[in-house]
Amino acid sequence: MTILQTLGVTKSYRIGNREIKVLDDISLEVKKGEFLVVKGESGSGKSTLLTILSGLDRPDQGRVLIEARDITDLNEDALAPLRNATFGFVFQSFHLVPSLTALENVMFPAELKGDADARAKAGSLLERVGLSGRMSSFPHQLSGGEKQRCAICRALINDPRIIFADEPTGNLDSVNGAAILQLLLELQRERGTTLLLVTHSPDIARSADRVVTLRDGRVVTDDSRG
Amino acid sequence: MTAVVNLRFIARQMTGAKRQCTVFVLCVALSMITLVSLGSFRESVERSLLRDAQSLHAADIIVKSHSPFPAALEKELTLLTARGELKSARFWEFYSVLQKPAGDASLLCNLKVVEPGYPFYGKVVLASGRPLSEVLLPGSLIVEKVLMDRLKIKVGDRLRVGNATLTVRDLLLQEPDRPVNFFALGPRALIPAADLAALGLIGKGSRIDYVTLVKVNDPRKLEQTAGRLRATAGESRVRVETYRNSSSSVKRFFDNLLFFLNLSGIFTLLLSGFGIQSTLFALLKEQERTIAVMKALGARSRFIIGHFLAVTLVLGLIGTGVGLAGSFALQGFLPRLFSGLIPAQVTLQVSAVAVAQGGLIGLLVVLLFTALPLYRLKEVKPRAIFGKEETGSIWNRSTWVIAGVGALFFLTMVLIRLRDLKTGLYFMLALVLLILVSCLLAWFTLRSLRKHEPRNLPLRQAFKGLFRPHNATLSIIVTLSAALAVIFAITLVEKNLDASFVDSFPPGAPNVFFIDIQPGQKDAFARLLGPGAGYYPIVRATVNAVNQEPIDPEKERQSRGDNLGREFNLTYRGYLLPDERIISGTTLFRKEWSQLQVSVLDTVLKMHKMKVGDTITFKVQGIPLTARISSVRTRTSGGFTPYFYFVFPDQVLAAAPHTIFAAARVEKERIGALQSQVVTLFPNVSVIDLTETVTVFGRIMGRLSSIVRFFTSFSIAAGVLIVVSSVFATRYARIQEAVYFTMLGARRRFVFAVFAAEHLLLGLISGTIALFISQVASAIICKKGLDMSYEPYLGESLLLVLLTTLLVVLVGVIVSIPVLRQKPVAFLREQADE
Repeated sequence: MTILQTLGVTKSYRIGNREIKVLDDISLEVKKGEFLVVKGESGSGKSTLLTILSGLDRPDQGRVLIEARDITDLNEDALAPLRNATFGFVFQSFHLVPSLTALENVMFPAELKGDADARAKAGSLLERVGLSGRMSSFPHQLSGGEKQRCAICRALINDPRIIFADEPTGNLDSVNGAAILQLLLELQRERGTTLLLVTHSPDIARSADRVVTLRDGRVVTDDSRG
Repeated sequence: MTAVVNLRFIARQMTGAKRQCTVFVLCVALSMITLVSLGSFRESVERSLLRDAQSLHAADIIVKSHSPFPAALEKELTLLTARGELKSARFWEFYSVLQKPAGDASLLCNLKVVEPGYPFYGKVVLASGRPLSEVLLPGSLIVEKVLMDRLKIKVGDRLRVGNATLTVRDLLLQEPDRPVNFFALGPRALIPAADLAALGLIGKGSRIDYVTLVKVNDPRKLEQTAGRLRATAGESRVRVETYRNSSSSVKRFFDNLLFFLNLSGIFTLLLSGFGIQSTLFALLKEQERTIAVMKALGARSRFIIGHFLAVTLVLGLIGTGVGLAGSFALQGFLPRLFSGLIPAQVTLQVSAVAVAQGGLIGLLVVLLFTALPLYRLKEVKPRAIFGKEETGSIWNRSTWVIAGVGALFFLTMVLIRLRDLKTGLYFMLALVLLILVSCLLAWFTLRSLRKHEPRNLPLRQAFKGLFRPHNATLSIIVTLSAALAVIFAITLVEKNLDASFVDSFPPGAPNVFFIDIQPGQKDAFARLLGPGAGYYPIVRATVNAVNQEPIDPEKERQSRGDNLGREFNLTYRGYLLPDERIISGTTLFRKEWSQLQVSVLDTVLKMHKMKVGDTITFKVQGIPLTARISSVRTRTSGGFTPYFYFVFPDQVLAAAPHTIFAAARVEKERIGALQSQVVTLFPNVSVIDLTETVTVFGRIMGRLSSIVRFFTSFSIAAGVLIVVSSVFATRYARIQEAVYFTMLGARRRFVFAVFAAEHLLLGLISGTIALFISQVASAIICKKGLDMSYEPYLGESLLLVLLTTLLVVLVGVIVSIPVLRQKPVAFLREQADE
């Protein structure tokens, strides 16, 4: 079943008086439960594609459909429930709220949803990823790997149908990076969540069900490994 | 090349941080407006009213007394006049009721009976334009417009003054030695000295100011002549002053007003300084990565600090310009603000001296308050590029040095502007205490709130926001609460003053006073007033010594409040008044004491240290009288009921020349008619309608309140700028939070609610702390300083807290709107790029 679809997505940015086309007529379909890697060199448009697929940005042309629903023209308030319950985000820079503890960061999306079990769910997730002893720590008190694990738990707390991960191991050393990737994949398979991961690392791409390679804003290869 | 790079750098810094720069400029502008407005006002008043001291006193030497001059002094004046060494002109000033001949209307007026020659300097301006000597002939009267309006008369009409009937010849527009007349209980009327005897208003014990103006023919002999007259006056309480050292009541009033306004101005300056500092911290924080990169490329701290110093100086210059423009604009409004307090001929304008002073002080304030943020640039290390740098604690040795220099600067400025060392030190001490107490209370409040976890999610996030890393919550609350505490305290003290002086008429209390009733008139007067009036004998005297230590009247008069240098009204009775009680001593007078006794009011103890058992030496009609203090009384009400500082037993002063003061409760509708009857039957008696007096006084207090509130509103503006700069200081963190919340599925109204709640907390905490401090301070000021009862006005106080909280929320939300509009993707992209 198709969970995510793009139709002729094009995106340009104006820098000064120059217009730079970052994405050029991208059409893509992602199946439910698929682990898809979007690969490409720096400047290939992979992060831009992720932001458009996740509704964080709008294409100049084309459409984006989530579970057959066109989200292209939805305003911020209409996108909010999608971001809260349908999507989960994991970023290279972690983006944890500095004034909240690890537990509170993980709880936050569930509290927004009005989930009365937010605390218990968050605690359980943090335990699962080995952060039970760090629940009361603030982000600046956590290591890079710990922050990313916390971010992953936050992404998963509302059982999202799609996780968007933008270079999740980019700020980690190789050991931590491998551990994080392992964790992400385990959780993705446990829950059958669709995972869209952006990376420039060929090693990470090898674990994916499908690899889409971008160059100069275009899909150059789309390889399924399943 | 370097200069071009510098200018470009400066320009880009400013255009890249428009909001912070705007706040910086506004803070500087605010301090300039305060300094220049107050300085210009002082210059204008001094130039128009006070600089020409000879005109202000209308003479070279002023000899004045509350009783007729000693014979020796009169003889000396006559001798010197005969020798051609000086010219003199006398005048008598007192209150009396003027009445229309038909007896249908009367008014208490301030009379000035003048000899030809007055004034020696300055000019009496009449509506006709004619000189005074031409108009003020025997049988004539010159009056102020207020008198004409109140009695509905015109030039040419006649008025009864004492036993005489005089004709109104002209309208008085201006007197040189009385440029403002808001001290008076009634409008002015000028009468020629030739009619003095005919008036029949000067009797023994009458309340009259006897003044002789002297013009010395050789200015070099001014001090010598004054000294000679002073020596001849001897130990009598005749004051002999030259125009150089005489303190006019007008000057004293403006000195006091400016004193207070200067205090308010210094406080605004301090707050603006904190605004400048806070804004610069915010601006430099955003530039931290840039600075780290510059250092990584080899730039020295000196180079970087120099660049940013140039930015602050350019901004300071712009702020100065804006402030100056604001000061000019304000000049259009100030005459309206001060109307009724300064004469129409005084032009308020921006003074070049004030501008220069303001510019210099403004520059010093900018340098002082930007010193710390700029100094901190030294501590930015190149590794801050990677965002891993945590700056150390702000409080190190250099910070303390800078803070110390700042405190010294402010103390110096306070001393220079207030011209009073003791008050300046007290002011600084009070300021330090205010900040310390605000700090302590804020710290305790935040500490207890930290553990608090409200169930409501936006509120909970707001609580968390107060404690976000690198937050400035404590400093914002301390600054806001200190500023609000001052403003609240001024409001509370003002309300209590209003209640005490304007509203305090206990039911049944006397509302009409009658002054200068002669003893022989008492019975007839009592028949006219009927039962219920109170009669108090008055003997005028001075205090010459306490415990045999002489009192120096000149030194006494220099103190700000009431003092022992003036004349007092002694009275005698054997009982306490209904609103008096004894606070020291057992009874009013001690039966077992054989010596002369006197009971003193506790107010006297504030003028001079004394206690039961001490002795006071009075001079009554030139005769010394030493009495032992038998008791100390206090008043139990603060209203307009008669009270006396010194009360003697019946038998002591009964034989002394005295007048009688009466107080009665009269229905308002009857007062006019009664006044007319009194002035017809007893022309020497002055009738004071207290309700009228209180209305006049209330009007003046209202005018003064407006002025005070106007200048303290600058402090509020500074407080608002501090709130704005604090939002900017935490702008990055707020954007970050707003983006994260949005990304995680929060709607815009949730983010808005979090920011609004955070400012609500800031406003409430600051307002509540300010309320607590202001209540304590106001209670102390009212009870100990002003010796009156204190009412907390809780309802109004809570309203103040609510209004300030709303203001903080409004300002915080408006300034946060750009943050709310920030799209998540733009922020995330910037983060990824980094």
